[in-house]
Amino acid sequence: MRDHIFFYLNGASQKVTGPAIFETLSRYVREQKRETGTKIVCEEGDCGACTVLIGKQEGNTIRYLPVNSCIQYIFQADLTHVVTVEGLSKDGLTPVQDAMVRCHGAQCGYCTPGFIMAMHAVFEEKKTCSAAEAQRGLTGNLCRCTGYEPIIKAAMEVRDEPRIDALYPTAPILRDLSSAESAVRIGNFFKPATLAEAISFKAENPKCTIVQGATDVGVWRNKRAFESPSYLSLSAIDGLGEIALRDGALEAGGRVTLAQFEEAAATHVPEMAAILDRFGSPQIRNAGTLAGNIANASPIADTLPFLYVMNAELELTGRAGVRSVPIGSFYRGYKTLDLAQDEIITKIRIPTPRLGEILKLYKVSKRSHLDISSFTAAFLIRMAGGRIDAVRIAFGGVGPVVLRLPKTEAFLQGKSLDLAIFEGAGAIAREEIKPISDVRGSAEFRLQLGENILRKLYYALAA
Amino acid sequence: MPVLGRNVPHDSARGHVTGESLYVDDIAPVAGELLVDFLWSPFAHARIRSLDLTKARAADGVAGLFTFRDLHHNLFGPILKDEILLAEDVCTFRGQPIVVIAAENARAIREAKNAIAIDLEELAPILTIDAAIAASSFFPDPRMIRRGDPAAAIARAEHVLEGVFENQGQDHFYLESQAAIAYPGELGALTVHSSTQNPTEVQEVIAHLLGLTMSQVVVLTKRMGGAFGGKECQATHPAVMASLVAQKTGRAARIVYSKDDDMHATGKRHPFQNRYRIGFTRSGEITGAIFELYSDGGAYADLSPAVMARAMTHSDNAYFLSDVEIRGTVCRTNMPPNTAFRGFGGPQGACTIENVMQEIASVLKRDALEVRRANCYQIATRNVTPYGQLLERNTLPRLFTELPARCDYAKRMDGVREFNATSKTHIRGLALTAVKFGISFNTKFLNQANALVNIYLDGSVQVSTGATEMGQGVNTKIRQLVADELGILIDRVHVMITSTEKNNNTSATAASSAADLNGGAAVDACARLRERMTPVARNILSVAAGAPPAAETPQKSEIVFADGFVFDQANPAKKLKFEEVVSAAYKLRVSLGERGFYATPRIDWNWTTGGHPFLYFTMGTACSEVRIDRFTGEMKVLRSDLLMDIGRSINPGVDRGQITGAFIQGMGWLTTEDLRYTESGELLAHSPTTYKIPNINDVPEIFNVDWIEHDNPVNVYGSKAVGEPPLLMAISVWCAVKHALSFVSNGDIPKLRVPATTEEILMRITQYARGEAQLTS
Repeated sequence: MRDHIFFYLNGASQKVTGPAIFETLSRYVREQKRETGTKIVCEEGDCGACTVLIGKQEGNTIRYLPVNSCIQYIFQADLTHVVTVEGLSKDGLTPVQDAMVRCHGAQCGYCTPGFIMAMHAVFEEKKTCSAAEAQRGLTGNLCRCTGYEPIIKAAMEVRDEPRIDALYPTAPILRDLSSAESAVRIGNFFKPATLAEAISFKAENPKCTIVQGATDVGVWRNKRAFESPSYLSLSAIDGLGEIALRDGALEAGGRVTLAQFEEAAATHVPEMAAILDRFGSPQIRNAGTLAGNIANASPIADTLPFLYVMNAELELTGRAGVRSVPIGSFYRGYKTLDLAQDEIITKIRIPTPRLGEILKLYKVSKRSHLDISSFTAAFLIRMAGGRIDAVRIAFGGVGPVVLRLPKTEAFLQGKSLDLAIFEGAGAIAREEIKPISDVRGSAEFRLQLGENILRKLYYALAA
Repeated sequence: MPVLGRNVPHDSARGHVTGESLYVDDIAPVAGELLVDFLWSPFAHARIRSLDLTKARAADGVAGLFTFRDLHHNLFGPILKDEILLAEDVCTFRGQPIVVIAAENARAIREAKNAIAIDLEELAPILTIDAAIAASSFFPDPRMIRRGDPAAAIARAEHVLEGVFENQGQDHFYLESQAAIAYPGELGALTVHSSTQNPTEVQEVIAHLLGLTMSQVVVLTKRMGGAFGGKECQATHPAVMASLVAQKTGRAARIVYSKDDDMHATGKRHPFQNRYRIGFTRSGEITGAIFELYSDGGAYADLSPAVMARAMTHSDNAYFLSDVEIRGTVCRTNMPPNTAFRGFGGPQGACTIENVMQEIASVLKRDALEVRRANCYQIATRNVTPYGQLLERNTLPRLFTELPARCDYAKRMDGVREFNATSKTHIRGLALTAVKFGISFNTKFLNQANALVNIYLDGSVQVSTGATEMGQGVNTKIRQLVADELGILIDRVHVMITSTEKNNNTSATAASSAADLNGGAAVDACARLRERMTPVARNILSVAAGAPPAAETPQKSEIVFADGFVFDQANPAKKLKFEEVVSAAYKLRVSLGERGFYATPRIDWNWTTGGHPFLYFTMGTACSEVRIDRFTGEMKVLRSDLLMDIGRSINPGVDRGQITGAFIQGMGWLTTEDLRYTESGELLAHSPTTYKIPNINDVPEIFNVDWIEHDNPVNVYGSKAVGEPPLLMAISVWCAVKHALSFVSNGDIPKLRVPATTEEILMRITQYARGEAQLTS
């Protein structure tokens, strides 16, 4: 059992132990290393000024992905190579940096290191970048000065960007990292190597918090001084990090990230991939997990309406073994789960739409990207002979949990594709939901969305 | 080769992209440095019944707690001197500091905060303009601008329009929150690094509140991570709090607001409620206009009277108003004191009349562009503003002609009509608006600046001015001006940290005018240095070469400084290196440092007789097209075309960045940035999770930015200020939404508030749809 966190930072190995492992990466580099290029602004993963690259082993390579270092903890960096803006170049500017200088991509400069890192991440995956690709890759970074246009232009001008592994050869780093024992125990933090150990730990520490991406836990810690008696990481457990299509269903392990889910969805459920594109940002999706989105139990979680209409099933593993719970019965109330103290979500099984089934997903938010939903909706429809043969409807943001709409579903059953029908369905849907007013929208607004979305659906189906 | 007019990179760009640029919180802590924070009022209005700090003082790691009793004075303010820094018996806004806490670390700060025993009695607050009007809660003095007899003109007008324009505030959302570090010095002196647009004001308020002379306080500003007006006055509070701790403890003291605290505690762009009564002809020409403006000033005056003055002097925007009355009243409420924000009241004034243009078009069923053209300021006639300033070198008619042609307005308007007639799912809108933004501080005496230019023995140059760098590129422009004035390479010129030690009694970097004023002062200094170096150079050149025969001289003799050389243009073959002349001048005991000064000429104005408050106007037109989802209210900007008159651009890259940045920032105010409060005045949107500034995906799908060739002989290099004006061009987006709504409003004037959020748009559409249902049933 290892008693410290071991990782690389800009090519130099780091060992951290004790309470310092609960320090955020951003504070670690700024305060311990006195490398202040990484900026701290919102401390909740919503501005990207703290973006760093986190390199994780993939076979014989290290894949560098952008994350928000203000909600990443030292313990999460275990066995990775973290690269900050100071680590990008040994001398001179990288092509990304040079383009940002030439195109006036920096004004006040406070968001700039974050943009530089996110842009480098784009060029880890591709050689050139279109405007749309720049927007996609830089969704997680806010700039208040430039209006973004010069930054997009800069990204489009970048040529011949060397990848991070050109500066930091992969083999020696991997060799060093892989020499470390995989299981870690430091105080109340535990990263076991097997599922059995994880389950026993959770059983023995019923109030423990599973922290994988920390995209929620990080915000609680930073903003609400959250402390858990103990923290459990699933990172070292084999078999939880894969997602694959089996028998027409996507099967995602308990620590599959939203980015992995998005990649798989792009092939198998493009409708969902389009929603995931608007889920948080690349930084959030690279850290946050699908299981985390489910377990956090927010009624506005972007994945849930989809999982509801697809009748997704959760595989829960505990000391008594494995059981399967349909997503629809997993939530017993606001943030209350059908999950025993010793249980862990180990797999999510999501049937994909079958031939003849139409999936339609909607997300309404104040801002199109990098925003939490005001309202979400999912529809799965099977048409037969010009009539609705079967329909499942789930709305988010209209009650304490994601809701199925049985009355609206029943009303639509057997009906033809007719505007008046869908308007009628909208009126019923409005009656079935009980939204509240909050910062993301008034109850009246959400009621109207609940009604209108049926009309929007009609035109989508009729098209 | 001259660098003026060239696309020189920002002088800090390299540091920004490598992370090397230092901001206040990046400065390494010194030994013994303390962290500073403050306990703030959780209520918008409350009486402090009791305050007991005993337990908090005893907490581990706490170095001190301070209240108003520890200040020499507690009253300050840029205009009215009505602001209390640390609440005494009554808290007047939510977020107002009560206790300053100094501790060794963040944990100790938290513990101290929890250990403060405070008993507050919540009092009834005034939270809105309506409530303030009902309670007659106003700041002195209501103002008025009047010309002709608008009431009579409206009475005899063919059409009369009445309405109210309302806008919400806007958070500055500078990425770098408020921050300062104070270092104690000898004999009570203080050195303070402050993220401020106004080092002199910070210096003055620290000195006043702590009982020091201004000469005992040095304030330094290397750069800000964004400011946008939010660090013009409100950077003072953290700087004073850190300074108080440094004074009392003798230790360095650092304060950095969290983003949430910053958004809770600092003032914002002013909400306005503007009532209008407009008389106009059947062709849309306005014959009489009465505007009654109310702004929410918050708990203290701050800059609100000046913001109101600018709102009033921009209520005409690009349009001639023959008979007009504009009244302005600042409401006193229990909100954080609202303050400067890029545009400074101008956007609220201009948006009101652009809204009127849109509504006149709705009434007359005409294209709003025709209405705007019918009212646009002209060249020889209809060219005097309501406050009596003659519009010189007016390019508005040209901008109103060129942009529609460039952006294919007429054809696209047809396209929008056709689209709306056929689409069941979306509506589109198109609007072309204008901006005419007055440049100069409305307060005459602020229009001055000084600059220090030092030439060193190797020929390199340092420039110090009162301008502060917040990303807008003022230092880069000053660098270019100095390089060309001295005829040396730009790499030889360094713009130094802004310091009250180098430049005294400076004005805020504000009103878009920092490059005009400080650039003007730097040019003045360079001219005098050249003047002193010229005889030195002439002397060397004549000794070395002998005077060329006069008859063969193509040019008359004149010493020129260019490209790093000094030469007589009559004999350009013989060149001296700049540093040779410097060296010679030094040995001849000629001073190689100079302080320049600039005071804006010609401006003069008062409320009674009006006058000429602005040196010139920056102008532009903008056309935006939007698409709205009929069912969700979601809006997308499909295309924006901006065309400006920014004079001769000193730096096209910098200016272009100001235009795109201001436009998108304005778009945020008008669309997604939604400051929601609880009924008791608690801000719900206090971080980027809940407060949505534009994202990279919100940039218009097609975004064309250009400017016309036009000289501005009254300003340095013929340039024009560009920081604020383009923010007002985003009004085209909001007007396009309003235009789109006119297709579903059943012939009524579509109403719309600022911001036009998804919710605002959908609720408007729904309201009209219900109206239609009632009519047909």
